[in-house]
Amino acid sequence: MLSIFQNLDISHYIYLSCVLFSIGLFGVLFRRNAIVLLMCIELMLNAVNLLLAAFTEYMGDPNANGQMFVFFIMVVAAAEAAVGLAIIVMVYRNTRKTDVSFLDSLKD
Amino acid sequence: MIALLVTFLTAVFILFAGIQKQESQFKNITFLLLLFGGSLALIESQGIINLEPFFGKILEGYMGKEPMLEFGLFRLMAVAIITLIAAFIIALMPATNRKGSDILALMLFSLCGAQMMIGSNHLVMLFLGIEILSIPLYVLSGSDKENLFSNESAIKYFIMGSFSTAILLLGSAFIYGGTGTFYFSDINVKLSFAAHFGEFPILIKLGLVLTLVGLLFKISAVPFHFWSPDVYEGAPNRVASFMAIIVKIAGFIALAQFIQNFSWMQGWYNQFLIPISMITILLGNIAALVQKTVKRTLAYSSISHAGYLLMFVIAPFGTANMWIIGTYALAYGLGTSLLFYFMDKYSLESQTSETSKGFDIFNGMFYKNKRESIIFTVAILSVAGIPSTIGFVAKFHLFRHSFEGSTLLTIVALIGSAISIAYYFKPFKNIYSSEFSVESTTSNSINWIALFMSIVIIALGFAPMFLTHGLLQ
Repeated sequence: MLSIFQNLDISHYIYLSCVLFSIGLFGVLFRRNAIVLLMCIELMLNAVNLLLAAFTEYMGDPNANGQMFVFFIMVVAAAEAAVGLAIIVMVYRNTRKTDVSFLDSLKD
Repeated sequence: MIALLVTFLTAVFILFAGIQKQESQFKNITFLLLLFGGSLALIESQGIINLEPFFGKILEGYMGKEPMLEFGLFRLMAVAIITLIAAFIIALMPATNRKGSDILALMLFSLCGAQMMIGSNHLVMLFLGIEILSIPLYVLSGSDKENLFSNESAIKYFIMGSFSTAILLLGSAFIYGGTGTFYFSDINVKLSFAAHFGEFPILIKLGLVLTLVGLLFKISAVPFHFWSPDVYEGAPNRVASFMAIIVKIAGFIALAQFIQNFSWMQGWYNQFLIPISMITILLGNIAALVQKTVKRTLAYSSISHAGYLLMFVIAPFGTANMWIIGTYALAYGLGTSLLFYFMDKYSLESQTSETSKGFDIFNGMFYKNKRESIIFTVAILSVAGIPSTIGFVAKFHLFRHSFEGSTLLTIVALIGSAISIAYYFKPFKNIYSSEFSVESTTSNSINWIALFMSIVIIALGFAPMFLTHGLLQ
């Protein structure tokens, strides 16, 4: 099983990451539920993580710089999720909704 | 480095010391400590003292041979400018009876992120700086918890901020895939090596474009600006002032540092940066003209300033270019923080409802408080770029410098500057208007910090050689 992954070309990883990133991107643009938006942003960050891990392995970087970056992204994503969920809870307390399309009072 | 350490230690001290105390007790000490850190950085940036070996020894174990954070002379000056402006913004904050100094501490942590962005030499550090800058600001923009506008602003800023970070990260991953390194200088070496053999891989091209898009989101240049007026309008006034000034300057200098490494590719990225700059100046100014509330006008005017700042990319790179960015950042920070201060002060005094804080909040300002109206006038003149203020010096050097690169962009910027006079001078009608409620108090008290800032604006306008001696070297 492991050998299948090792024999995969780098382009497969790039395509997979791009597809995952696009799913997240279109989710952010078109979904309206705040929790789903948060999940879509996490998906985008994880697509980048996968890409970085694959690139590090592909280039045989002795310092594994890319994989170190993955840890930084994971930590920051956790911090962002904590703040994001707190903001969603705050909005929910005031509006009893987690739907962002109701938040349209600020406009030109 | 010294400014970063002072800011961080102050933030930790205030966070723990201020749990049960009133916020206003800590405002002055924060101001003094930031002033101390910023002044040390300013002295160091003039080459008078050199503290870097001292901090280098402390951090030797953490930073390896090639540091991820590097504070050269220009970066030190940028850090000093941003620290001093943040000190003044904090000193101008209105005194509240709020318990707990968490807002101050969050602002300082955010400032740490701004300083890290300016000093970054490595894509990981750039990313960490942006996140340390942004995450406290997501909390701050929603810090008025009961207010629905503030809630909306927080959620909009959070979603757009993380979205732009994800785009920047994808760009960094592509650059890493193409070059195998995160250091700006190494990326440049690999790229010029590849270009020498006539290759320019699509992966790196895509990576550079995505990284630039992520940074342009942060400074709210025009195709990516749609979030910023809403966010600034909904956020509490003091946070909006911090966001409009600190985030923009830090994001801008980080962008300049990043693309400065690839100056030999100027022809390639100018194809899209020059149109972005033009459209940002025009759209920002025209949209500001039709706004009814003061806060939204200020938000659009800060978008147009992002356009002016972007003009530097067309000029040939060098020390002079960096000094112009520093001067413009200083002028923008001083003027805009004063405008936000007066907007905040007079919208608290006015009786109109929350959503319609039009220009009539300034009605009769001249009769209520003569001295304050003069300071306000100085701030407006500086932001509009009228001679004898620092705003004019900054704009003059920027336009003169960019004229060598692209005449068309300079003409567009001049037109935008002319349009901006129309909305910057709107408050003058209100200042001298006699339509104000008689019972409102007249006073002669002024804020000494605001007075000092207006004196700096005038003094540097009359004696620009203190700023421009860097240009002539």
